[in-house]
Amino acid sequence: MSTLRILFVGGIISYRALFAWLSPWISIPVFVLAPLFQILLFAYVGRAAGVGDDAFFVIGNAVQYASVPCLWAMGSAITGERQQGTLPLLLASPARRVPLFLGRSLPVVVNGFVVAAVSLAAGAAALGVRLPLSTLGPLALVVAVSTFSCTGLGLAMAALSLRVRDTSVVALIVFGVLLMFAGANVPVDALPAWMAAVARWLPLTHGIEAARDVAAGVPLSGAGADLVAEAGLGVLYVAVGLLALGWQERTSRRLATLDRF
Amino acid sequence: MSVIAVEALTRVFRSRSGPLRRPGREVRAVDGVTFTVDRGELFGLLGPNGAGKTTTIKMLITLLVPTAGRATVLGYDVVGQAREIRRRVGYVFGGDRGLYERLSGLDNLRYFAELYGVPPREQRTRIAELLDLVGLAGRERDRVERYSRGMRQRLHIARGLLHRPQVLFLDEPSIGIDPVGARELRATVRRLVDDGTTVLLTTHYMFEADELCDRIAVLAGGRIAASGTPADLKRSVSSGTVVEVEVFGVPDGAIARVHAVPGVRSVVVEERGQAQNLIIRAEPGAEVTHAVMGCLDEAPVGRVATREPTLEDAYVELVSRS
Amino acid sequence: MNLVRLVGVIWWLNLKMRSRSAFDGFMNILWPLFFSTTVFLMFRSTGAAGGALLSAAVGASVMGVWSSTSTTASSMLQQERRQGTLELVVAAPAPFGLVLLPITLSMATIGLYSMVVTILWGRFAFGIDIAVRDPWGFAAAVAVTVVAIGVLGFLLAVTSVRYRTAWALGSTLELPVWLIGGFLVPLAALPDWVRPISWLLAPTWGMAAIRDAAEGRSPLVDAALCLALAAGYGLVGALLSRRLVHSARVHATLALS
Repeated sequence: MSTLRILFVGGIISYRALFAWLSPWISIPVFVLAPLFQILLFAYVGRAAGVGDDAFFVIGNAVQYASVPCLWAMGSAITGERQQGTLPLLLASPARRVPLFLGRSLPVVVNGFVVAAVSLAAGAAALGVRLPLSTLGPLALVVAVSTFSCTGLGLAMAALSLRVRDTSVVALIVFGVLLMFAGANVPVDALPAWMAAVARWLPLTHGIEAARDVAAGVPLSGAGADLVAEAGLGVLYVAVGLLALGWQERTSRRLATLDRF
Repeated sequence: MSVIAVEALTRVFRSRSGPLRRPGREVRAVDGVTFTVDRGELFGLLGPNGAGKTTTIKMLITLLVPTAGRATVLGYDVVGQAREIRRRVGYVFGGDRGLYERLSGLDNLRYFAELYGVPPREQRTRIAELLDLVGLAGRERDRVERYSRGMRQRLHIARGLLHRPQVLFLDEPSIGIDPVGARELRATVRRLVDDGTTVLLTTHYMFEADELCDRIAVLAGGRIAASGTPADLKRSVSSGTVVEVEVFGVPDGAIARVHAVPGVRSVVVEERGQAQNLIIRAEPGAEVTHAVMGCLDEAPVGRVATREPTLEDAYVELVSRS
Repeated sequence: MNLVRLVGVIWWLNLKMRSRSAFDGFMNILWPLFFSTTVFLMFRSTGAAGGALLSAAVGASVMGVWSSTSTTASSMLQQERRQGTLELVVAAPAPFGLVLLPITLSMATIGLYSMVVTILWGRFAFGIDIAVRDPWGFAAAVAVTVVAIGVLGFLLAVTSVRYRTAWALGSTLELPVWLIGGFLVPLAALPDWVRPISWLLAPTWGMAAIRDAAEGRSPLVDAALCLALAAGYGLVGALLSRRLVHSARVHATLALS
């Protein structure tokens, strides 16, 4: 099987198999309404607290909320494979490992991107925020890179919490951490120093900053540093995730706990 | 006076399929069932899984509305006077579910005592009495999640009796209980009936119905295949003999040929791993063994035995006919 | 049958059950804390102090009461069905609605833990000192709000039973009630057309009563309005639950099989 085929076909098939939330009864409340409400909530609190403007909160929360599909989807993809017992098989050939997992992550990244884009549009419409047409292209790129890096975090998170029975709890906690730290609702510079330091190593922080710059008309080159940082973090998290999975597989083989793995 | 009166009771289930929830297949779980139960009787509804026993019980305890027909319990209609019935009947079913896991046995009983309106002054003594009766005294403060299957079943019985029901409905109560526990359960039920409670019991255990019940109705495919006292049902099969033949691979058409043998009333085939057990009911006085062996061609044959018919044979025959 | 006693005992026993999972309790406290912390950070970043912050802080503490009710309430009946207890509850002579209501009331009551933790967190991590001028009024207003949220949960439980994915509905309603109920921002800050919706939400009045008591005004009127609305919800919920049971008996949806 060619690398490209593994990448796309394997990814889409596993995604559909493990993902029941394509039902509109779930996808609309969870992917359209919930992020919109989050945007509105914080926009109004922001007005009361005198923080930022509406655009600040629309962008911040739309990107932050993309972590929902990125974290949960990746988490359930990995635990799904584990429950089905196909995880050891996946890790069997190291040469194929990268395209295989990238393939499985691709639908998740796309899902995250779509969620962010839809919430951005809905939030902007609801609050009357104008996003000039020229900024949409660069914005799309920034959001894509952000969802990629967040998916990377999802992979790392899932790989490191294989022992945990319910990864959705871990995902919940990571969601909350991102909400507080990633600058979605408070400028990172205005956070206490230690929080800002942690934030710079989290996905979405740089992406949100870049997105805000780009939406304000700053050319892509101006947001370059943030974009590179975001992409770099994504690669880092993916690497951590793959390494962790490999390590788990080796130890479970040694300890003969393959079925548990 | 009939405590339970059921007339042409029918219940149809329609499964809905597809995203638009279009009506799908229709299943007649209970199809025109008629019977009565008198006061102080222990009545058994006997039948295999899927025969409609649970559905019938659920209609009588007002959990399901019949599609057609009528039923009254203690003179109250199951559709229109549900509340009156609920006050006076108890419902116990087998299995693990139906209890609040995080609460103790005692708290579970308190919960249901409240749901059944047991007067507060009476609750304490009544609960203690029942815990003694079912043998859970001393374990009532443990959480139900730590109870064994048997303990849960006993707690269910205590729960069903909290409000001193006049009629008790038991749905497969001895499922999954060890034989000793099941025997205790049957003794408890017998005692309740002796004290005046009317009991309707469903079971697919032949011997249980035989041992306990005053009257039995055999339910199969939603219909009553036969009813009467255990003695009546035995009598209907006691004439004649039963020949059992163990065959390793019944040849095609052999069963039809066996049916055609003069003197054969019925043939039932039982799968037993590698072999099949042919159970042949023969008319009194008919010698069918030789002819039956002839029908089996060259198929390897194991044990051949002739014996008296039992209630179980009657049951198997009745049930396989529908 | 003593109906008041029925509600009381069922409420108490459900509260017992709910307080026995340390894990659920932890998540119930942590989740709204993410949001209240973000809100506190927002106010802190602009150095805002005084009225708006204190008001938001009081409201933020009540967020957890709704959180612990909304998602659990919408999947409550599914949970009872899975446990096998739904049938037994219906088969009992107690009025169905009066058995459901105390269950959602217990969900709201458990949210009080979150309220306490949030207040302490605001105090010790952010130095937000919520001085309560009228402690008894405050306590009464909190109790009334808990009841209002519990009854709202009851309505939610009864209306969402038809949907297999009811939990999605419940969790989606979490944030809107915070916003529209005036927990974090004054109602005046919301668009005009939202105002009537806020007024129809019982918890809005409970929240107003809590603020009244904290700031030294009389909470009586707001609390009374809250209770009146809650009573209305209760009535609607009771009627709906009767229809629900009848429908379930006809369509055989009480049991899993």
